[in-house]
Amino acid sequence: MRKFFNKNPYLMFLLPGIIVYSVFVVYPILSAGYISFFQWNGYGPKEYVGLQNYKDLFTNSNLMSQLGNALKNCLTIFFLSVIIMMPIQIIMAYTIHSKARGSSFFQVAVFSPQFISTPVIVFIFTLLFDGSFGIVNKVLRETGFGNLARPWMGIPEYGIYVIWFMMTWAGMGVGMVYFIGAMKMISGEMIESAYVDGAGFWKRLWYIVIPQIKGTIFNLILTSYIISMTIFDFNYILGGSGGGISGSVDTLALMFYRTAFGENSPLGGKVSVNAMGMGTTIACVLFLMVFVVAICQIVLMFRTKKED
Amino acid sequence: MQKKQGIMAGFFKIFMWIYSLATFAILLYLVYNSLRPRNDFLSNTFGKPESLGVQSYARLITQDHFFRYFFNSVIILTVSLVLLILISSITAYGIARFTFPLKRLVRVFFLIGMMFPVQLSVVPLFLMMNNVKLVDNLLSVILISSAGISLPVFMLTNFFEKLPKEIYESAIMDGAGEWTTFFRIMFPIASPVVMSVCITTSVGIWNQFFLPLIFLKSDSNKTVPLLVTKYTGNLLRNVDMSMAVSVLSTIPILILFIIFSNRIIEGVTEGAVKG
Repeated sequence: MRKFFNKNPYLMFLLPGIIVYSVFVVYPILSAGYISFFQWNGYGPKEYVGLQNYKDLFTNSNLMSQLGNALKNCLTIFFLSVIIMMPIQIIMAYTIHSKARGSSFFQVAVFSPQFISTPVIVFIFTLLFDGSFGIVNKVLRETGFGNLARPWMGIPEYGIYVIWFMMTWAGMGVGMVYFIGAMKMISGEMIESAYVDGAGFWKRLWYIVIPQIKGTIFNLILTSYIISMTIFDFNYILGGSGGGISGSVDTLALMFYRTAFGENSPLGGKVSVNAMGMGTTIACVLFLMVFVVAICQIVLMFRTKKED
Repeated sequence: MQKKQGIMAGFFKIFMWIYSLATFAILLYLVYNSLRPRNDFLSNTFGKPESLGVQSYARLITQDHFFRYFFNSVIILTVSLVLLILISSITAYGIARFTFPLKRLVRVFFLIGMMFPVQLSVVPLFLMMNNVKLVDNLLSVILISSAGISLPVFMLTNFFEKLPKEIYESAIMDGAGEWTTFFRIMFPIASPVVMSVCITTSVGIWNQFFLPLIFLKSDSNKTVPLLVTKYTGNLLRNVDMSMAVSVLSTIPILILFIIFSNRIIEGVTEGAVKG
């Protein structure tokens, strides 16, 4: 044994990692793929059904409409993040990068919500947007827009936007800090000469800064896709495992959770005869949707590393 | 040199002030209202408070055992973090330092974990933990959290690869064994990267909701985020407790963050640039 390790010292370093990682990360993934070929409720006997679970998922109209609705909600969050949140992050990062007065204060303030746990963030938003004791309605009434006041958190149509808003407030800082990091790599001379040429704010941003942080932008778009597809916490806390009123805040991860662990509580409540089989099937479909994008990201990671 | 930045830059500066001040104002509002009795807050939200006091906090700590939840969170965080750092730095060093067959494949192998949402593996993990009787045991969450080494291994491998070979060779010449070299010399050198790994992963582990929700059942094993949902689930009855628990679980960490903000933000940026 000792001799073996002396001969191959790398194994001594690799083995602990490989074992832990295989048991808790790789094995469960393979196992989930395996279970998705069975009809199984989690404790009784398993029955091999081949691709039947996948067929059911895409042909059963109830499952299909749940899946479509969940997917639509996930994509809504993704598009809002890319179209609205990311430009704000870039502008914030640029403002801080150009050393506006108060920059370090901005950085701390924008990053802070990152340290607040999801249930507390949902609660803070309730304090702001609740129908009866929310600040927003109070402000609307005081300023003469009383007819706009409404129970923001309780209206199904707004649900997914409320979720997005919470996520954005919580996650704004991380992306921003990444952009600041990328902007630090831009040579000062380039920006300096742009000032001399009299380029305005938008021109400097569009022609000088954006092209230099393309890699970071692309990487964060991919990350934000993965986060949007797998989002669970906010939706579960706001809408329960049912995904809110008529599925208004339902997501793929919630649908999986509900199917595998039952509607009421984890491993309690009503669990169907095929809870685990269908649950893992949904998880595998979710994985396939993330996989394609994740591959791009990994390729990108290796590429940027080589450029160093 | 006075730079002319233009109207837009000025506009965004004002926007940043409003955004930043609003964030702190919201937190102060939370702290202020946590000192009010429940009925006073619900019926007279924006009026002059009847009285201010720490009665919610007292109940939270004495009757509702806040610190039990808090210590569960602390135990999960510290043990997971120590294990995760230990495993990932040893693995990363092994990959970066030695040449061996299939090295590229091993690197990709350790990245796989990043593209799989934890939801995918939670059913098999639950069955596994059930078999070894670790459901409703902190150890289940600890083990799973500390196995999430994909990103840390990637970042640390990049770091170790860039180290000059001479450091290693001179250590071996002085007669140090492989492990001594690693723990006495290599690991300390990597401490900046280890720091930034610690920061990014600890926030995630501390605030994680999904794994504890599934694996921790009894109140004596639950973590702080789960305690928060216990109160926020019924706001009309528990709005005062919700505020107290929110403040107690948030403000100390935010104060720590503000004190160390320079180092923390630097760490995250480093991780982003190097990772």
